[in-house]
Amino acid sequence: MMRRLANIALLLVAVAFCYGLQVSKPHYGDLIGPIPARGKPGDTVVGRGFEIHAEKIEFARKLTVDQYGQTKILTTGGVWAVVTAEFAARAQSTVVSVASWRGPTGLTYDQTERLSFMNGLLPVALDPGLPRKARLIFELRPDEVSNATLLVSEKLVAALDSQAEISLGPVTTAADGLPTGTVDMLDMAQPL
Amino acid sequence: MTAEVLDQENRDGERKWRRRSLWSLLLLIPLALAVEAYDSVKALLGNNDLFARRVVWGQSAQFGGSDWKLTDLRGAFGMSNLPPDSVPVLADFQVKIGDPNLQNLWLGCKIVLIDKDGRRWSPTSIVSLKATGNVQTCISAIFSGAKSGDTLNLRETFLVPKEATKSIRPAVSVASERPHFLLFQLEKD
Repeated sequence: MMRRLANIALLLVAVAFCYGLQVSKPHYGDLIGPIPARGKPGDTVVGRGFEIHAEKIEFARKLTVDQYGQTKILTTGGVWAVVTAEFAARAQSTVVSVASWRGPTGLTYDQTERLSFMNGLLPVALDPGLPRKARLIFELRPDEVSNATLLVSEKLVAALDSQAEISLGPVTTAADGLPTGTVDMLDMAQPL
Repeated sequence: MTAEVLDQENRDGERKWRRRSLWSLLLLIPLALAVEAYDSVKALLGNNDLFARRVVWGQSAQFGGSDWKLTDLRGAFGMSNLPPDSVPVLADFQVKIGDPNLQNLWLGCKIVLIDKDGRRWSPTSIVSLKATGNVQTCISAIFSGAKSGDTLNLRETFLVPKEATKSIRPAVSVASERPHFLLFQLEKD
């Protein structure tokens, strides 16, 4: 009788253990997903193949760009966010291609493609010992600006590879609903 | 023979086979792991340049079915519009084609510069220098239609920091030879 009870108890323990393993198991997407390298603006965030140092973040209502010798003004229904960052390769030459802006609600914005003709945007080719600056430009809803995270990786599918995750922190909002310090116009023709 | 004796014999036989089975696990588990890992290890070795074959300055080495020789490695100083403290470096090779099946043998051809710390520079697109004569890159040579006995002049251009120029050495790798790669020594080595 005792032996049978002990067997039943052992079985129950085994079931509980297996259930525990099942519920605590990471999602497959998390297992093979990007490996975060976290930091904040001003930090040098170090990934496997590259480093990034986000120097400044600016907000603007409009951007001016030079295209084929003509000045073009890009307006938006939201707000432009322009991040200037310095990139460096670590042990070997690489290309950093992808950046996105994850807002506080989880909405994720890819870099704008409206300035794809401009120099100084991603993708940026990097060689060891030769850091380069680049701009990351996003067109955002104003309520997605505060407490956002900047995500930067070498490839679009950064499976099992580093992804820099830079927490941008709180941004105060002015009376017009735009981030405090938003300028009317930012000139993208200015050198980095 | 009584039933009791038969029962005892069966029990002894079971015990013997149980023990054999447990011992066989010592062999079977590592074997299963090896079979399972075979493809991954093969892919790892096939995608990485792990083992260097050093080539003395002035010598040529048989690699990917052809004879490779480093003919020059020099800096192109004095260029403007470059990142500060950077130097374009040109690596020139003379390759005598042996097996002309370059599209298979030279697949994934990579020429890089490696410094004393193991840092690797790939060819750059920032600097473009006009080459004289029939100079090709490693990748364009694959589709050149070169025949056995032809000699190809290959050149790759790199951008490296000034501090690394003293210790950089050119290296060549192709998929058919990985994980081995050629590491060329300079005259001063």
